[in-house]
Amino acid sequence: MASKEEIIEGFKKAVIEGDVEAAKKWAEEAIKAGVDAYEVITQGGAKAMEVVNELYERREYFVPEVLCSAVALQAGVDILKPHIKVEKTSVPAKVILGVVEGDIHDIGKNLVKIMLSAAGFEVIDLGKDVSLQKFVEAIKEHNAELLGMSALMSTTMPGMKKVIDLLVQEGLRDKVKVMVGGGPVTPEWAKSIGADARPKDASEAIEVAKRLVEELKRKKS
Amino acid sequence: MGEMTPRRRAIYCYTGNREKADRITAHDPLTTTTVEQMMAVKAPFPDSTRDVELGVRLAEAAWTIIGLEGFKIPFDLCIEAQALGAELNWGRIDRQPSVATHPFKDLKDLKIPENLMEKGRFPYKHEIVARLREKYDFLPITCQVVGPFTLAGHVFGVENFLIWTRKRKQEEILEALMLLADVNLMDAKEAARAGADFICIADPTATADIISPQFFRDVMVPVYRYFSERCPLPIILHICGNASCFLPYLPDTGVDTFSADAHVDVAFAKQVLGKKVAVAGNVFTINLLMKTPKEIRDEAVECIKKGTDALIPSCGIPPRTPTENFRVLPQVAKCMVFY
Repeated sequence: MASKEEIIEGFKKAVIEGDVEAAKKWAEEAIKAGVDAYEVITQGGAKAMEVVNELYERREYFVPEVLCSAVALQAGVDILKPHIKVEKTSVPAKVILGVVEGDIHDIGKNLVKIMLSAAGFEVIDLGKDVSLQKFVEAIKEHNAELLGMSALMSTTMPGMKKVIDLLVQEGLRDKVKVMVGGGPVTPEWAKSIGADARPKDASEAIEVAKRLVEELKRKKS
Repeated sequence: MGEMTPRRRAIYCYTGNREKADRITAHDPLTTTTVEQMMAVKAPFPDSTRDVELGVRLAEAAWTIIGLEGFKIPFDLCIEAQALGAELNWGRIDRQPSVATHPFKDLKDLKIPENLMEKGRFPYKHEIVARLREKYDFLPITCQVVGPFTLAGHVFGVENFLIWTRKRKQEEILEALMLLADVNLMDAKEAARAGADFICIADPTATADIISPQFFRDVMVPVYRYFSERCPLPIILHICGNASCFLPYLPDTGVDTFSADAHVDVAFAKQVLGKKVAVAGNVFTINLLMKTPKEIRDEAVECIKKGTDALIPSCGIPPRTPTENFRVLPQVAKCMVFY
């Protein structure tokens, strides 16, 4: 039987290479060997996505490669998820995610979803082409602490501002933190529309999400 | 040489012969429709994306309301996918129709019916071109086709297709893209017959934010070349995002003009492309939406200084863009000579 280190390393390599079969194999191996599923996801999967992001930033990887890695990670996470022990080290919180209406580019949002669930957040994924009102309704319904919106088109970006304006109108803005992302979304734009953060990629989204939720809880207490 | 009409000027500017024109053109071959135009001519989305009368009226608004020097048809990116079997979300006044379902599960399922040009809204599109041509001999008309890569995303699902570009044989990917380029060719020939002057390939998904320069060189260049060698009209290629790293390969595509998105520096593009491919662009659409006419004027002048051949927005115009902002582009183009 493979050692814990071998399993984590094997899973990491499979994810980096976007090899679905190998990712499944190592995930099953992990369960058989009794290795902590959460550790495999964070130490293997999330670390792998960090490498993938680095490769993407260095322009050695492009979106198709990142997507293959994300699919491999998801295949592994699906196997590992039921075995994750309940107590998680991260800040527990509910996150609403979605791509704003008019936009069907959900690759980035899906990466953020995988990363946030791997980090222990409860993610409610509204999908793509989400009507602006639906974001607000979902926040109310789930009593969510965090909202993540994504847009890849400059024509759909203004939808993010409308959602934030709606939150202000409904008196919800103080109850929820907002992060935004997507190709044309700059930190300046994020600030100008009243968002709390614009993480530069999916792995930074975890840190940002943790920080925002901590801020929110501190403010509430 | 005849009179310098907007049509003649646009043909010079978009085919690398702008020195023969008196000034650069403000014919916008990208999406020009805004809510204010729809209200002014009473041709709102989604009805005007389906009805020929309303479609003609909305297309005309580019000239009559904004002062853009020509027409661009159609107003959305879904005609091809719809005719191939995709279902659409029809959108509303400030939202273009979008593709809701993907008709093909696998590369090998892709079939192009011979009578495709009679299906869906292709007849609507070509009829609008014909009517505009009949009425406006002096203005250019651009017929937009959805480029093969973006169309592949529409008919197979973007994620599926992107993954296949890594997991399937390159020949299979090329074969599917060439078949989709055939759709563009049927469309271009029909548009030429109806009186269009240009074909604008809108291939937003084939952006450098998504695909590698290697993939662009090895796969997209042969596909675009296949199209350009057979297309009866001059071609404008619009790729969203920062396509700077694709610039060295553009002359091999055989297109006449590259339409640069906001992140591409026009001066840099002109330097790389030289006389081989003209450059159109690239006043940032978000600035057109959010900033003042004065700020837009400054940016437009900057584009001209950098050597653009056609003064147009960096991408499709956001629907809520104010008319007074959009009007700045033709105003500036008219009063500026070449630098």
